[in-house]
Amino acid sequence: MEFDFSPVITYFPTLIKGIGATLLIGLVVAIMSIIGGQIVAVITLYTKKTVNWPLRFFIWLFMTTPLLLQLYFLYFGMGQWILIPAIVVGVLGLGFHYMAYNADIFIATIKSVSSGQYEASRSLGFGHLATLFYIIIPQAFYRAIPQLGNNMIIMVKDISVLSAIGIAELVYLSQYAISVTFRPFEFYITIAVIYYLINVLMETGQAWVERRAAIRR
Amino acid sequence: MTQATDTSMVELQGVKKRFGDLEVLKGIDLRVDRGKIISIIGPSGSGKSTLLRSINNLEAIDDGRILLDGVQVNRPDLKGLAFERHINHIRQNMGMVFQHFNLFPHLSTLENVTLAPRKLKGMDAKSARELGMELLERVGLADKAAVYPSSLSGGQKQRVAIARALAMRPKVMLFDEATSALDPELVEEVNQVMKSLAEEHMTMLIVTHEMAFARDVSDWAMFMDGGVVVEENTPDDLFTQPDQERTRNFLRKHLASQA
Repeated sequence: MEFDFSPVITYFPTLIKGIGATLLIGLVVAIMSIIGGQIVAVITLYTKKTVNWPLRFFIWLFMTTPLLLQLYFLYFGMGQWILIPAIVVGVLGLGFHYMAYNADIFIATIKSVSSGQYEASRSLGFGHLATLFYIIIPQAFYRAIPQLGNNMIIMVKDISVLSAIGIAELVYLSQYAISVTFRPFEFYITIAVIYYLINVLMETGQAWVERRAAIRR
Repeated sequence: MTQATDTSMVELQGVKKRFGDLEVLKGIDLRVDRGKIISIIGPSGSGKSTLLRSINNLEAIDDGRILLDGVQVNRPDLKGLAFERHINHIRQNMGMVFQHFNLFPHLSTLENVTLAPRKLKGMDAKSARELGMELLERVGLADKAAVYPSSLSGGQKQRVAIARALAMRPKVMLFDEATSALDPELVEEVNQVMKSLAEEHMTMLIVTHEMAFARDVSDWAMFMDGGVVVEENTPDDLFTQPDQERTRNFLRKHLASQA
């Protein structure tokens, strides 16, 4: 069998669009899941069980069921009554999914900040909430960076699952190109390399951020 | 509401504290006059750290009264947010220095010092910076303003912690075994800073294991054991001719272990 990569070159602008969509979705989901995860962690740790119970249940749901099932449920299941645009379902589904995982990390890193930090802040005259905001959460964030980075690297690969509900990200658009050119092998190799490069870039970025954060721990 | 006189800065009246079944403070009376320095010594578990932490309400007392400059610190009548507002305000007048420094590792040395005046007193960035540099200068660390605590030695960290506490212009400084976690060769630089505060007549309560330093710097010394003040006197008398057998035993053991 001989390889022919010329269709890949022809359809490269399409793949570029896919890369753009994947990266954009990744950015939005990263921001949403990191900020949301932080909020969920704080609510879980610092409010009464009766208050945070519904939230924990919600998080538990997202952590114990497959992402694909969640997307099908939100898009096709809920779609019987209300049609939410696929991109909204995709971003929210992926966002909540990783929000749950990030919240887990933040819960652990918030707990790992010593009580001495809390006491030092309170002894200066900061209140409980100000102490969380200025002292505890920033430190927990710096400590969470290595694991957050790992989660976000996994998340970017999971964006491909959104192709199942018709979102035109990288995998979806390559499927389209394959259906026209009948060159699956060449396209799959190409997008595998693209994912690899995205990963390498993210890992480099993560290492850089980690180095910067290390002096603040 | 207060019996405190003009000269009293910190006053404790019948302060009791228990952890579960264990009574760690069994009715402590104490008075620190403005500009005076009191050292509290005693074996570990004697309640001396708990006493100091109670003054700042880091430990909530179960009975008695604590007054700072005539204002009651513990307020059993205030609950929830009302008490939090009250205690936040009170704490701005007290500087606390901890055994393990507790510098904020995510902030630079200068930011550690300026955070509280900026956020709590609304000081603008420029004035806060000037204040911070002035305080770092005075603890001898102006050249470390931009670095993060992780690159400081223990003695440097504690000096920054003292500068951080001073930044709120406190009426009293509380030192909770400020040099106990330091390597012996780093103790002196922290003691020097504390001495310079003493020379400026800062009111101080010092919980310490450094007998020589306590004797040197304080106006009054207390020996605590088992949640009570066993004996108190001028430092010269307490350290050289203690009245109580428990005090003598403690000092003998302590001097033997330091020899």
